[in-house]
Amino acid sequence: MPQDPSPLTWRLRDPARRIVARFAGVVCPPQVRAPKLAEGLLGEFELLLGALPTGARRSVLIAFVVFDQGARVYPRAHGRRFVHLGDEDADAYFRAVLARRRSGLGTALQRIKGLVVMCYYELPEVKEQLAYRPDAYIAAVSRRRLASYAAQIRAGEAAALAPDPGSSGPERDAGSAPEPPPGQRPNAPPGPRPNAPPGPRPNATPGRQEDRP
Amino acid sequence: MSTAAGIPAGLTRQSEVTADVRVDCGVVIVGSGAGGATMAAELAAAGVDVVMVEEGGYHPTESFTAETGRAMRTLYRDGGAGLALGRPPVLFSEGRCVGGSTVVNGGMSWRTPARVLERWASEEAVTAVSEHDMAPYFAKVESRISVALQDPETIGKDMRLLRAGAEAKGWKIIPNLRNQLHCAGSNNCTNGCPTGAKRSMLVTNVPRALARGARLFADCRVERITRSGGAVTGVEGRFVRPGGRRGPRLAVRSAAVVVAGGAVQTPALLARSGLRSRSGQLGRNLTLHPNAKVIAFFDEEVTGWHGVHQAYQVREFMDDGILLTAVNLAPSLIAATMPGHGRELGELMAAYNHMITAGCLVEDTGAGRVRNIAGLGPQVFYQITSRDAERVVRGVARAAELMFAAGARRVLLPFDGAPEVRDPAGLHNLLARPVPKRSIELFTVHLMGTARMSDDPRRGVVDSFGAFHGVRGLFVADASLFPSPIGVNPMETILALVTRNAQRLIDQRGRYRI
Repeated sequence: MPQDPSPLTWRLRDPARRIVARFAGVVCPPQVRAPKLAEGLLGEFELLLGALPTGARRSVLIAFVVFDQGARVYPRAHGRRFVHLGDEDADAYFRAVLARRRSGLGTALQRIKGLVVMCYYELPEVKEQLAYRPDAYIAAVSRRRLASYAAQIRAGEAAALAPDPGSSGPERDAGSAPEPPPGQRPNAPPGPRPNAPPGPRPNATPGRQEDRP
Repeated sequence: MSTAAGIPAGLTRQSEVTADVRVDCGVVIVGSGAGGATMAAELAAAGVDVVMVEEGGYHPTESFTAETGRAMRTLYRDGGAGLALGRPPVLFSEGRCVGGSTVVNGGMSWRTPARVLERWASEEAVTAVSEHDMAPYFAKVESRISVALQDPETIGKDMRLLRAGAEAKGWKIIPNLRNQLHCAGSNNCTNGCPTGAKRSMLVTNVPRALARGARLFADCRVERITRSGGAVTGVEGRFVRPGGRRGPRLAVRSAAVVVAGGAVQTPALLARSGLRSRSGQLGRNLTLHPNAKVIAFFDEEVTGWHGVHQAYQVREFMDDGILLTAVNLAPSLIAATMPGHGRELGELMAAYNHMITAGCLVEDTGAGRVRNIAGLGPQVFYQITSRDAERVVRGVARAAELMFAAGARRVLLPFDGAPEVRDPAGLHNLLARPVPKRSIELFTVHLMGTARMSDDPRRGVVDSFGAFHGVRGLFVADASLFPSPIGVNPMETILALVTRNAQRLIDQRGRYRI
């Protein structure tokens, strides 16, 4: 498999890592507390932050700090920061802020929650727990495709680079595939359209498409 | 045609550039998506010396995997996390890679509805855009990108249930036309097609243009369009190093400039180049087909990631500007928008293989705006109208009804704080009271209209063929051209309009000296 071309160019500092890890412990399913998952999630989150524009990244980090420090004024926290709250108090504080939708705080928190849980569900172990195994499936259907349609695929791919029918000049000289006979659609092999099931041909008649096929 | 390393001849990436680059050409095209690649292929075939400049990287088919996070970081702008500011805000995603959004879209390929073309002609002063005028261009692009019905064996259970629900309701449902060459049904469209079956620009018009002598600079952000007097003279940009660091400069001198960066980046580039439109419409008139989704849970296993991305569309409510469909999303993307957290979220997600995500797309009537904000770059502002919000709610209700008719046991709605709904009666009761506009969770991948066409310079930014009013040699070639939303997936409309506009430019090449 090719390497991820998005290099990790950005890392969370330790205080921010602690806030994100504690936050993940509240918003993600309890399994996130397994050390390997927690580390994996932080790695994914750093990659995600690295892909955001600077302004958005800064906003997310500021929101984490505000959320962490804001716990001090939450009655049940007794002056403690979010990272120092026990599970029940942390969950209650999160719910309390989330409920403040009119002020925009809750909406912002919902979005940040979305970013963190998105990273959690990107972890291979978590996908496996959901029985989500796309790689094996993709490999299988790719093999089926080639076994069923190899000749049509080769013809279609060549036609995509072939000159347009009736072209002349530089167009005629450029492509490597032979020009199809007049009147035949460039990517259609002889006979029925490759992708068309029995019934109306989707592209057979020019004109209104809204009611086709 | 490719080099020994598998990199197409004519492509230059940032890693191959160590010093500033200066090139001359006939036409420079900014962007390599539906509009840019099509313009490049048409012009190069006519013998025009073409240079494409693409901000994103070159990622070949072999590099595409099912890792959604990786795809979001590498193929999408800003990690796919665009946000149109408003109440409610609208999440949006745009491709940023060689091939543009065609690399990450679902491949739906529909002609512009005739009623839309008629409206553009009669109300927006757009010429040569009738259904008859456009038919040959649609036919040409449909052939080029292999627009066809899906092979039956690739249609998954989620889509069969969608169809069963629509049929039970007696609603009109049609199979999707998609640009695919025997799509495998891998359900990986939005991460990049791992087989190349989706005939995106990456595997059609980009290599077609390169094979005809065009050059492509990837990983290079165009910073401004240069001008002298009333005519363009080229573009200037910077290669982008890993992590966004600025690399060497690129200066392209050309007789014509085609801007095809999409409805957000195109007006932003034009504006930061000091260009103004007499119409006052540059960056305005943004429409975006707001989408909202419901998540339906079934007793039976659906395994929505088995089978094609979208096989059907429900067209029953098109007169109301509402289109319904279903689409499978990766677990990470569903979880990001799920209600609940902690254990509750885990319990919802444990049923991932029993879910169908259905949704509605609304042909909007409002208009947003793109503005360059100092220090932040292009920002999108969009306020959904009350009328459109009501239609979104109606569309959501229809999508939920459809899922119940298909056998769903419960449905989550995209309204902040809404309880889970367990039957149509519960849905009816819940929606008997108005849904606050600000509580609707909206997203989109269709942004349009920010450099609208009209032959009347008081009304349009560009003329009927994409030529910028008042600036010689400057053209727009993407969904920015649309004077209004079109109510269906926009890719084919972009390709057809740009093919038509390219022919016009070729016919007038002597005038532009290209």
